[in-house]
Amino acid sequence: MIKILAACGAGINSSHQIKTAIEEEMENRGYSVKVDAVVIKDITEELLKDYDIFTPISKPKLGFNISIPVIEAGPILYRMPAMSKPVFDELEKTINQLKKNN
Amino acid sequence: MSTIIEFANSLFQPLINLGAAPLMLIVLTVLALLMKVKFSKALEGGIKLAIALTAMGSIIGTLTGVFAPALENFVKSTGIELSITDVGWAPLATITWGSMYTLYFLLILVVLNIIMLILNKTDTLDVDIFNVWHCSIVGLIVMHYSNNNLFLATILVIIIGIMKFINADIMKPTFNYLLDMPDSNPTTTTHLNFMLNPVIMLFDKIFDKIFPFIDKYDFDATELNKKIGFWGSKFAIGFYLGIFVGILGKQSVKDTFELAFVGGMCLELFSIIGTWFISAVEPLSQGITNFMSKKFEGRMFNIGIDWPFLAARSEMWAAANILAPIMLLWALILPGNKILPLGGIIAIGLTPALLVVTRGKILRMIIIGTLMLPVFLYSGTAIAPFVTTVAKRVGAFPKNLPANAMITHSTLEGPIEKFIAIIVGKAGNGGIKNILIALAVVLIYIILFIWYVKQMNSRNAEYTNEKESV
Repeated sequence: MIKILAACGAGINSSHQIKTAIEEEMENRGYSVKVDAVVIKDITEELLKDYDIFTPISKPKLGFNISIPVIEAGPILYRMPAMSKPVFDELEKTINQLKKNN
Repeated sequence: MSTIIEFANSLFQPLINLGAAPLMLIVLTVLALLMKVKFSKALEGGIKLAIALTAMGSIIGTLTGVFAPALENFVKSTGIELSITDVGWAPLATITWGSMYTLYFLLILVVLNIIMLILNKTDTLDVDIFNVWHCSIVGLIVMHYSNNNLFLATILVIIIGIMKFINADIMKPTFNYLLDMPDSNPTTTTHLNFMLNPVIMLFDKIFDKIFPFIDKYDFDATELNKKIGFWGSKFAIGFYLGIFVGILGKQSVKDTFELAFVGGMCLELFSIIGTWFISAVEPLSQGITNFMSKKFEGRMFNIGIDWPFLAARSEMWAAANILAPIMLLWALILPGNKILPLGGIIAIGLTPALLVVTRGKILRMIIIGTLMLPVFLYSGTAIAPFVTTVAKRVGAFPKNLPANAMITHSTLEGPIEKFIAIIVGKAGNGGIKNILIALAVVLIYIILFIWYVKQMNSRNAEYTNEKESV
């Protein structure tokens, strides 16, 4: 199980769209992932340690080094398959790499 | 004609009589089916919205049930009249999505977007269907004050809609600058909170002319946010504002703790329930996006999404963190304000606009933000009777509270539009004076926006020049 963290302004709308889209698409591609959605402001170094991949809308400045892979998931919010596909592809590549390393 | 209306009534009245939650369950399920969503998925969304509406009502009941009496004591012991409970944005969004008119205003704005795209008056395709509730609330306020004048409400929503699409176009280069996005990135937003930009820009120009030296003292926003830690999160805010009300309201220690825990619990629950109805609106958003992108296949445009792509900039959070205690202070001293800030105290309805206009100059954001907060508090106070009435109508307000107990959102996006909606609504009842005032106010609103567009255009020309000289 790969744990992914999505984030947005209130942890309600954008991050949940990303969560739903990633969970659905990755399941279709045969991966088991779990995505949590939070307010970006509440992310700490400690919190990120619990996750394998971070999928913000756009790259944030959090004040510490992000030690897990970061994939910008903004294009998912356009709701157009051609635009979100590269995000999912990159995610798939990263998941495979993580699995290999374990 | 009358038989048609009678027939429609006999068909729809029983549905309407079911109440908001069952009605919206049926309407959203049917709409999702029309958007070719699978039946089980469509029904899942419909059920979730109905449950979200019910849950919001029950949390509002718990929160106001505990806070309203304490706030009454607070008023008695301090003499400060803060009787309105600030529930934040999620309950207001849910309540608004519980109204059929939101679907009507959605239709109006989608058609407007298509027309403007065809006429090349905008380059923005809006897929942020969820946030239609912001314009819907403006329309609903007009109707509330004008004895249900739908025509007047539609006109105002269209005027604001046109400006929002233009605004999404002219802000685009600033988004690229703030987030280091390449020109090929289509992200923009039509969010109502950026309609405050013209007023913020007015103040920003004053800084340019008189206090430009202040930018030297800008500090690192990221560092500040790290120091604030969990104190800015929802449960913590609910907790210490509960303690604050308890102490100033001279409650017992036991009751003070109850206020703190109930406050923290409700603010967290509002967010959790808020996520529920996102999935209910999702099929509708996807369906409209599919329809629109098919219609304009092959054309390049910007895509309007919800504002939080800007949440990556730490300045907007630093400003929100600093503005929170300032708002509490304002609430205590402003004559006429009746809101005790709670659910809306982290002013995400304000700081994204500050970020865009000042381009991340943190001190300007804080100072201009401080000057803007009273507008939000007065606007939130002004719409409280309306919000409470609507909440009661959709069954999201407890019946056993005193008549003066009200709810609102302290930092609801588009505070100026709320005042305009009230003024326009009152003009709908006739009277030359009211009509003239409404016309004058709308005219000033439009002129200020035109001035702002000019400023943004010259800013955008600078961006283009910089790129060419590289």
